[in-house]
Amino acid sequence: MTNGDTTGNAAQPLLASRGLVKAHGRTEALRGASVELRAGEILAVTGASGSGKSTLLHCLAGIVRPDAGSVTYAGRRLEELPEKRLSELRRTDFGVVFQFGQLIPELTALDNVALPLMLAGAGRVEARARAGEWLERFGVRGQEELRPGAMSGGQAQRASLARALVTGPKVVFADEPTGALDSLSAEQVMTALAHTARESGTAVLLVTHDAQVAAYADREVRLRDGAVAPLGVTA
Amino acid sequence: MSTVVSDVRLARQLVRGSDRREWWRLALTAAGAALATGFALAAVALASVPSGFTVSVFHGLASQPGTRSGVIAGLLLVLVPVLAFLGQCTRIGAVHRDRRLAALRLAGATPWQVRRIAALETGLACLVGSAVATVFSVLLLLRLWNGPTALTWAGIALVAVGVPVLGAAAGALALRRVVASPLGWVRRVAPRTGRGPGTLFLCGLVLLAAVAPLAMSSGHSAGDRVHWQGPLTVFSLVVALGAGAVWLAGATARFTGRLLAERAGTAAPLLAAERLRDDPYAPARTHAAVLVVTVAGTAFLCIRHAMLTELRTREWHLGADMAYYTTGLDLTAAAVLVALAITLCGLAVGTAESLTTRRRALAAQVAAGVPRTVLNRALLLETALPLAPALLLAGVGGMAVGTWYSSLTGDGSLPWTALLVAPAVYGSCLLAAATALPLLGRSVRPGELRYV
Repeated sequence: MTNGDTTGNAAQPLLASRGLVKAHGRTEALRGASVELRAGEILAVTGASGSGKSTLLHCLAGIVRPDAGSVTYAGRRLEELPEKRLSELRRTDFGVVFQFGQLIPELTALDNVALPLMLAGAGRVEARARAGEWLERFGVRGQEELRPGAMSGGQAQRASLARALVTGPKVVFADEPTGALDSLSAEQVMTALAHTARESGTAVLLVTHDAQVAAYADREVRLRDGAVAPLGVTA
Repeated sequence: MSTVVSDVRLARQLVRGSDRREWWRLALTAAGAALATGFALAAVALASVPSGFTVSVFHGLASQPGTRSGVIAGLLLVLVPVLAFLGQCTRIGAVHRDRRLAALRLAGATPWQVRRIAALETGLACLVGSAVATVFSVLLLLRLWNGPTALTWAGIALVAVGVPVLGAAAGALALRRVVASPLGWVRRVAPRTGRGPGTLFLCGLVLLAAVAPLAMSSGHSAGDRVHWQGPLTVFSLVVALGAGAVWLAGATARFTGRLLAERAGTAAPLLAAERLRDDPYAPARTHAAVLVVTVAGTAFLCIRHAMLTELRTREWHLGADMAYYTTGLDLTAAAVLVALAITLCGLAVGTAESLTTRRRALAAQVAAGVPRTVLNRALLLETALPLAPALLLAGVGGMAVGTWYSSLTGDGSLPWTALLVAPAVYGSCLLAAATALPLLGRSVRPGELRYV
């Protein structure tokens, strides 16, 4: 893993931000943050609480629009896309995993994973079959018909990963994906995520404050006060 | 005493410092309490009118002891949806206040103290609503009646105090299924099942079967004496009808959810059906009120038609002015419409509440790319799917009552407008649910992802 290298090199970045600024009310969460994510790369974004990690992820995933600066994905400026197109992009090209809350409590694990496929137009039978394969790949076999509330935290989070990856996204955004898990479950989740991402060539933007989780990444950028900290500066 | 004062102070501080639209809950609770107080005071004032006193409103309908009892009974029946609405408003806060309650427990508050503070929050809002309604009602009463009796004033005082007490009790009861742990978890103690309403329905039926024959026999031999059997029969009928409607609404939701969850081919019906299957009794009370209003509205139109037909044929032989009779029908129509309006408000509030409770999960769905149109459709389907068969049954039930009455009194003809009640109520319910769509738009903002 390399540290702090945020500028481009020979490979064209898949996703890049330039000078992102975003305020929540009077609090400036991002103050000119610039990062690049290359295809197939796992990038860890670390930093102290309130350093702007989650806001950066939200901007890069097109969940929120920055106040200033730009986000470019595969040559397209995200801030210029309408909400409908952004939503479509998150459904097809991006996958998102949060600390918790992304699984719908009323749906079974299988239906939760099948949902993105159904939204993309797949029939339910086909979607459930593919979802089952992904759940099996993430070791949630036998738990398909359980609802998230009946699963352990680790199982639910692995189901969340399956849901994020089932559509074959180019980029997965993971915001503290192991924040609510014990160390063993965290290791299982991160191993599954890193292995699957490398196998499928999916880029991962991983927001974490945990050094052990960040160690799964190829590269790390550290945020401080809403901007990428220079090399050697700790958050 | 000092404990209560400190609890009141704490409750006030918590509400003032809240940023979770607590003021909406309090305003709605106060409005519900004001409505309940208003209707209850009208009933109390009419009940305390001495015999022989002429009430100058409603074409003398409230002057005759017999018809006055009918008006009082109508007012008390309208109180049922009003109290249901009040209960709905008090429950808005029950899940909202999760973090606050957990923080209170962490700070050392006992579960009982937490419930007491929640009850005080609701009780104070009810007190404001009740006070406002009492002041206006008393002013109106003094304009219409020069000398209210001591019984009237006692009744007014009882209602003015009773409604806030009832509201506070509802606020405490709303938390009976919620346990706030000091670690910040708030969970439902047990999933809602249809066992409670089902048992209450059976109890109501048993009571009705026991007292109805007694009431009928005492009615034949009655003089001017007031018998306990009549009110008890009405009470057991209301209990059986209310609990039966809640059970029917929940059972229909569960059946519809199960049926469609297996067959849903697209995302929106799947989301709605699974939610219905998961917690079919969540909207049951509101939907039950819709069913009761539909039965009452459909049956009323048939009964009104039969009565007007009968009155027109005997217009020259009537003992009183025609307006005397039609005023009664108009008042009943107004009561049904008021009940429908309150029920629709309850439905809108309930839908909004369910969205607020799920806001973080909904925001996560949108962040993951689930289109808002899918969530909009799912929200509307959560109301539309269970109500469609339930309202069909309610419409058929109302028509059956109306047909029975028409066959007894008139030529057996039925007004075609009665058939439109169920579809009209259905459309109104969808519109009421749709009022929550703007809130859905706000609930799925990415900012909600920041709240853990």
